[in-house]
Amino acid sequence: MNEAVTIRDLTHQYPDGTVSLEDVSLTVHGGERLAIVGQNGAGKTTLFLHLNGSIRSPLDNVLVFGESVRSMPIEERIQKVGVVFQDPDDQLFMPTLYDDVAFGPINMGLSRDEVDRRVREALKTVGLSGFEDRVPHHMSYGEKKRAALAAVLSMEPRILVLDEPTANLDPKNRALLIDLINRLNKEKGITTIVAMHDVNAVSHLADRVVVLNTTIVADGDAHSIFSDSKLLKENNLEAPEAYKLFRIMGCYGYACCNALPLSVADAPAALDASLEENGGAISLRRDGRTAEELREVFERFEY
Amino acid sequence: MRYPDIDKYAWLDSPIHRLEPRIKILSFTVLIFSAVFVGNIPAALLALAVALLILILSRLPVRFVLQRSTPILVFVLPILLLMPLTVPGTPIWSAGPVAFTEEGLSYAVLITIRAVAAIVLVLTLLGTQRIEATLRALSLLRVPGVIVQMLFFTYRYIYVMMDEFLSIWSAMRAKGYTLRPNRYGLSIIGNLVGMLLVKSYERAERVYCGMEARGYRGKPITVAPFSITAADCFAGLLLIGIAGGLQVYPLVAL
Repeated sequence: MNEAVTIRDLTHQYPDGTVSLEDVSLTVHGGERLAIVGQNGAGKTTLFLHLNGSIRSPLDNVLVFGESVRSMPIEERIQKVGVVFQDPDDQLFMPTLYDDVAFGPINMGLSRDEVDRRVREALKTVGLSGFEDRVPHHMSYGEKKRAALAAVLSMEPRILVLDEPTANLDPKNRALLIDLINRLNKEKGITTIVAMHDVNAVSHLADRVVVLNTTIVADGDAHSIFSDSKLLKENNLEAPEAYKLFRIMGCYGYACCNALPLSVADAPAALDASLEENGGAISLRRDGRTAEELREVFERFEY
Repeated sequence: MRYPDIDKYAWLDSPIHRLEPRIKILSFTVLIFSAVFVGNIPAALLALAVALLILILSRLPVRFVLQRSTPILVFVLPILLLMPLTVPGTPIWSAGPVAFTEEGLSYAVLITIRAVAAIVLVLTLLGTQRIEATLRALSLLRVPGVIVQMLFFTYRYIYVMMDEFLSIWSAMRAKGYTLRPNRYGLSIIGNLVGMLLVKSYERAERVYCGMEARGYRGKPITVAPFSITAADCFAGLLLIGIAGGLQVYPLVAL
């Protein structure tokens, strides 16, 4: 599999001496769905700013498709990595949505017809066709969030980096955005890298999870990360609610044949598998060890 | 929330709305300069009449124009009051060293009429097309890119600033703050302004990151699909002709 992003021993320090990244090494393969989780100030945003060259490492240790970001011309860089920032008001800086989505393609030096085609296609992808003349201050937060994504999609990047895509969104817009990011990954083969706190959404958006706390603390599939309560606590993180519920059911004698579900959407499959394994019925009971096990689960997974 | 958009009636349809933005800006600018430089009251009244006629043609609601012009007129009123007292000439009324002069009064009336005519024209210009159309037209009229970009960002972020101001303000109100003109009340307002400045500075850094992430290198940042028709040219020339007429009228009338 080709390497979309390769980071080798990346260290970054802010002028005031704060070390934001230390010896970060990470490889992301083309088409992969990666989530970076970590507490506030863990360095997620700083890492993202390195990916598109907004912060340049003094060494050639941040590579995108084998080429160093440091020496890459800006037109090339923005076609390879598109970053969607957390606050859409930081990203939508032009008076109308059309201008905003056209901003990247114009800077890439594309013809007016091509710019127009890309703007319309990007707006269609995010479900905002007909919003071309809208001004950002007349749009809802959810619409602005999708608009910010369209503004990056119009550059047709091969890697999409999203900082807290689901933060502050209502449930419907959250679901819409998750579905959209997954469609982009599946249909267009875009590598997606998301930073998030929303642990309940991580398993929807990523096959692989990296825990960042200035340096990379853990790297693995979502199950291995979220079942490691020690790791989660050390990094001020938590497990998804569905996972915790199944752990509680475990205290009452529930036995699941495979990994516990990490989201409500995965729960029916886990229950079905469990039913099949147990002859069509699941029985829960309280015995002498239940109280002790419950206490342990709460101690390990709750704050 | 409801924003005080200056272009909220840009969607109306009128001959003034339909005028091509570049032609509109150029011809209105000439007309405004002409209105401001007329030399006597009859010519100024004529300029005001022209401005009002254009306003009527534009179908902008009178209420909107009144609301928008009030804050500017506040700056004109002191002139109307102070001029008669400061310009020397034939006194109409006097009390000790203070004299209300005829020359001063006519000068004050002249300045006020010119100002009202100019305000009406500016509001008609800005109110009959969307702000971004005005900005794009300025860009095409070779106004320096830095100025156009500053106007673009001012327009975009004034609303974000308003939202930020209101959120800090409501947080202050929620903690029982009421505006009182004493030292404490004013120092709190000072803090609020300081907070807004810090927030703007931080936001500016993030916006710049966002712009760089999309390849910004200081070049013009917009496309403008405008086209000038013969009718636009005719209307533009007519407006410029009127502007010239305003300057010629006092000479002929004399």
